[in-house]
Amino acid sequence: MAKAILLFLKLIAVCSIVEGVYEDQVGKFDWRQQYVGKVRFSHFDSQVQSSKKVVLATENNVFAALNTRTGDLSWRHVDKTGPEGNIDALMQHGQDAVLVVGNGRLLRSWEINIGGLNWEIVLDSGSFQSACLVGQQETVKHVAVLKKTVLSLHYLSNGHQKWIENLPESDTVDYQMVYSDGNGQVYALGVVPHSHIAIVAYSTEDGEIIKQISVEAPWLSNVQESCTVIGKGMLTCVDPSAASLHMLDLHADSEMTQVLLQSLGLEVATGFHPVLVSTQPNPARPPLAEFFLQLGPEQFVLLQLNSGHIATLRDFKPAFLVSFATTGEKTVAAVMSPKNKTACSINLFSAENGRRLLDTTLNFALDSNGGKPEKMYVQAFLKKDDAVGYRVMVQSEDHTLTFVQQPGRVMWIREEALSDVVTMEMVDLPLTGTQAELEGEFGKKADGLMSMVLKRLSSQFILLQAWVGHLWKLFYDARKPRRDVKNEVTIENLSRDEFNLQKMMVMVTASGKLFGIDSKTGTILWKHYLENVPPGAVFKLVVQRTTAHFPHPPQCTLLIKDKESGLTTLHVFNPIFGKKSHVTPPALPQPILQSLLLPLMDQDYAKVLLLVDDQYKVSAFPSTKNVLQQLQEMASSIFFYLVDSSQGRLSGYRLRTDLSTELIWEVVIPTEVQRIVSIKGKRPNEHVHSQGRVMGDRSVLYKYLNPNLLAVVTESADNHQERSFVGILLIDGVTGRIIHEAVQRKAKGPVHVVHSENWVVYEYWSTKSRRNEFSVIELYEGMELYNSTVFSSLDRPHAPQVLQQSYIFPSSISTLEATLTEKGITSRHLLIGLPSGGILSLPKMFLDPRRPEIVTEQSREENLIPYAPELIIRTEWFINYNQTVSRVRGIHTAPSGLESTCLVVAYGLDIYQTRVYPSKQFDVLKDDYDYMLISSVLFALFFATMISKRLAEVKLLNRAWR
Amino acid sequence: MLQRERIPLLWVFMQAAFVVSWCFTDMETGPGAGVSTQPNGDRFKIEGRAIVPGVKTQDWVSAARVLVEGEEYVGFLRTDGSFAVNDVPSGSYVVEIISPNYRFEAVRVDITSKGKMRARLVNHIKTSEVIRQPYPLQIRSSGPHSYFLKRETWGWTDFLMNPMVMMMVLPLLIIVLLPKVVNTNDPEMRKEIEQSMNMLSPNPELPDVSELVTKFFSGSKGSSSKAGGSSKGTRPAVKRR
Repeated sequence: MAKAILLFLKLIAVCSIVEGVYEDQVGKFDWRQQYVGKVRFSHFDSQVQSSKKVVLATENNVFAALNTRTGDLSWRHVDKTGPEGNIDALMQHGQDAVLVVGNGRLLRSWEINIGGLNWEIVLDSGSFQSACLVGQQETVKHVAVLKKTVLSLHYLSNGHQKWIENLPESDTVDYQMVYSDGNGQVYALGVVPHSHIAIVAYSTEDGEIIKQISVEAPWLSNVQESCTVIGKGMLTCVDPSAASLHMLDLHADSEMTQVLLQSLGLEVATGFHPVLVSTQPNPARPPLAEFFLQLGPEQFVLLQLNSGHIATLRDFKPAFLVSFATTGEKTVAAVMSPKNKTACSINLFSAENGRRLLDTTLNFALDSNGGKPEKMYVQAFLKKDDAVGYRVMVQSEDHTLTFVQQPGRVMWIREEALSDVVTMEMVDLPLTGTQAELEGEFGKKADGLMSMVLKRLSSQFILLQAWVGHLWKLFYDARKPRRDVKNEVTIENLSRDEFNLQKMMVMVTASGKLFGIDSKTGTILWKHYLENVPPGAVFKLVVQRTTAHFPHPPQCTLLIKDKESGLTTLHVFNPIFGKKSHVTPPALPQPILQSLLLPLMDQDYAKVLLLVDDQYKVSAFPSTKNVLQQLQEMASSIFFYLVDSSQGRLSGYRLRTDLSTELIWEVVIPTEVQRIVSIKGKRPNEHVHSQGRVMGDRSVLYKYLNPNLLAVVTESADNHQERSFVGILLIDGVTGRIIHEAVQRKAKGPVHVVHSENWVVYEYWSTKSRRNEFSVIELYEGMELYNSTVFSSLDRPHAPQVLQQSYIFPSSISTLEATLTEKGITSRHLLIGLPSGGILSLPKMFLDPRRPEIVTEQSREENLIPYAPELIIRTEWFINYNQTVSRVRGIHTAPSGLESTCLVVAYGLDIYQTRVYPSKQFDVLKDDYDYMLISSVLFALFFATMISKRLAEVKLLNRAWR
Repeated sequence: MLQRERIPLLWVFMQAAFVVSWCFTDMETGPGAGVSTQPNGDRFKIEGRAIVPGVKTQDWVSAARVLVEGEEYVGFLRTDGSFAVNDVPSGSYVVEIISPNYRFEAVRVDITSKGKMRARLVNHIKTSEVIRQPYPLQIRSSGPHSYFLKRETWGWTDFLMNPMVMMMVLPLLIIVLLPKVVNTNDPEMRKEIEQSMNMLSPNPELPDVSELVTKFFSGSKGSSSKAGGSSKGTRPAVKRR
């Protein structure tokens, strides 16, 4: 009975604080962009002439189909991250796409129209080498998979294995290629580096070895890199050292014939490894006799094999990219060649004779803020007059996909770099020119009474003008039909809105491309590709100057740290326009260990960035005289910490006046027992409104608000189920004092932590009960505050009271973040990214260590929810409804100008932006506010009083007459 | 900046706070959390079928996935709604079907080291409790997700059934109708009312209540017309909507 009552009470509590999305709010202030990642394989669906699909397999283990008209996703399948979901090969035949996944572990076939799985089978272990479709008598029925030691053949219809055969001498021969041309044989091609080529021909029917030959080839080390099959089974390899082609007929037992490139009148660029490009339009037929040979970074030659002789059809120089495409019976070659500095032109050439096809020029504009084109995928189709038309999808270095139609119309652009956002910031938009003008009036020094009056008048006049202009635009737009009115956002018309809800999202991606995105619409306003970013670099973005200091432009600094050398470079830019700043960043010859943004400002209002190198020397950016002087004054109060997770060492330093550093504390966590997994401080822009909590008996429990507190999470080195544990240490970052230590036994990571105000929430996996658990630690000073005016780490004698409570969470989580508002009055919610793609907004109220087990009068007074072990996931709390965010990696929260509203950006494979109202919209009228009702009631009351007044007058008059 | 001279301590600790909280570390979670290799290497397959009643499979399968223990193992749905998750070592797993539009219950699947399978209901509190489910899994959707809150709509009944309105309307009716039913000009009746009023308020210290009532009733014509007027007024007001 008591339980039932408790449950009832809980339900009431839950219902009363419900916060979610209304159906009519869909798409009003939220948007989602879906990405797939850097494309590895791509195929146009060429079965039907009018097909609108292109299938993509990407390096992010995503397999997707795009609509070629719009560039939107038709469907997408997101596999596991890491090598187990890695897509090794993509083959397309008709409506089926066959994928080899996870280093040859799985073979999957997808139905590309609806995006459903046809079949999936597990292959034998062994590292994957190559795969191809096998045809026979004009039909394709099988797929061959070559592994290190075995070759297997599978039915295309159901994936069942037809046969599997061991490769002969697989311990010495490195088999790398599998080839079939529809004559009932499958060839496995291997190489013993610098010795010979091994060729094994299997019968498609039963896997019997028909032929086994080995040919001397001491110059060859890798078949895949330097060989290809052209024409009717002619294995052609390129030998860069001798500048020659070697050819071998697979059907005949013969020696390799050598063709010197010189004899063809060709020359290889020095230091360049020539590449062969061939095409096999139909797997049931041999490849074409025409092929490309790349002789240099910008030179290609179209060659033809004609009865054993090679003839040059055409020399393309300069040319960036080449690609073959087939439609019907026609095969064409598309060649991209530079036109001028800002554009390229693509032309089609007949593959048979190398002649240029008329009216096939396509202009492709190069983006000065993007990378060079890297790959080209051509969709060819037959026009009504039997001529070949085509569209091109160009992939560039910065992972951008551009789909271009003749004569150069860009149909869509996909910025696939955004599938891998590393870090981001939200920057306030600048004021408009007129707003800035008004601001400027107050900033400038007084010139005199008269000029001030004039200035005032002129600025008022500007305002009036702007207002009239706005009214006129409204009037003008109102006459036009709705769809003609375009509210396009461009950098020029960007300006801050009334409540600062619209901001500039500066996103840094792993590929080194920076984006500026309008948070209201999701439009990409600027992009900037940083070349020479080392792969796997670590990024940190800091906002040194906001837009508040007109006329100084806002300034962001991106620290790019090479993971291996530790060397750091700085990129300073304007976050609103994306332009590189004219401020030259200092050269940093030493690896940087730590960077910190000080609240100090130089004379131009740029905050000072302090960089600590591996010699524990400190340098400042900007480092003007003014800054250095300020630093000297402040030095004694600047503390920082360093973490060395490999040695388990946490150390605290202070700055000396000569900008050297001094070690003041050190905490060593023995690495053989546990290792440091993450360290979380508080966010510097966080505000806490109330110093304490009012208890049921009207006393106040004061929060322990230490701004220097660090939450250090450790995991045990021992991974055994019974002995693993997760530890959490709360350390003061200035003094090194350990405030609290908690250990969760029989638990393991990954641990997600949020540290804010006076609480730390963390999530871990309980190995004992096999479930995810949340734990919350809250710190309180007690009933009295030691020093209410200022918090000092050095002068806080009493240890805080620590409360902790744990809960079961019915799902695993991907990421965790807390909402943030301008002044911290609004109650907090936790934003939890789930693997299902939902983003759950869980009120912090549920994670409160003071939730009582037995309800008392006092706890009810305090609005505490009775303790329940399990937290519930309600789909109404998903802030992104069905707009799931795949593989959510991070959630960025930023305050807006409204206290009730917090801006949220979730990023992973997708990007989702929305607003949340943790305590509902208490400071603005709700969007469903009924203006009609209130005004009609007012009017009605007004008329009613008029009428009743009249009636009363009449009545009084009547009475007087009586 | 101005306060620096006055309370240097505050500034100092603000500084410290900012500095500490802005520290930049590139902590990387170690590789240990990743793949746990099974020594015996026996891998099994979790099979089942998902059904959304009344919806064609091709309308929902392309957006659905099978997640085993978070994203530890991932499976995809075939065009007929069946699925198989390959390469799963022995252990106990929560198997969920994830679809942005349809709701499925999660199931716990236990795999012994010999490959015996058992499916049971997920219970996070009593983790050892076993309520058997069919295996191969048969997961039936319990309908679409309810993501949205209902807007509070405004209706006539809501307005009329509001207790405040009821409390207002009833006395109004009495005030308007009572004088019509009872002839207040009749002195006998007046006396009776007075008496009853006195009975209702027996406190002798408040004699003016009855007086008030009589006054009220005598002047009721004026006030009632006013009250009636305003009540009339609200009605057309809402009708106008």
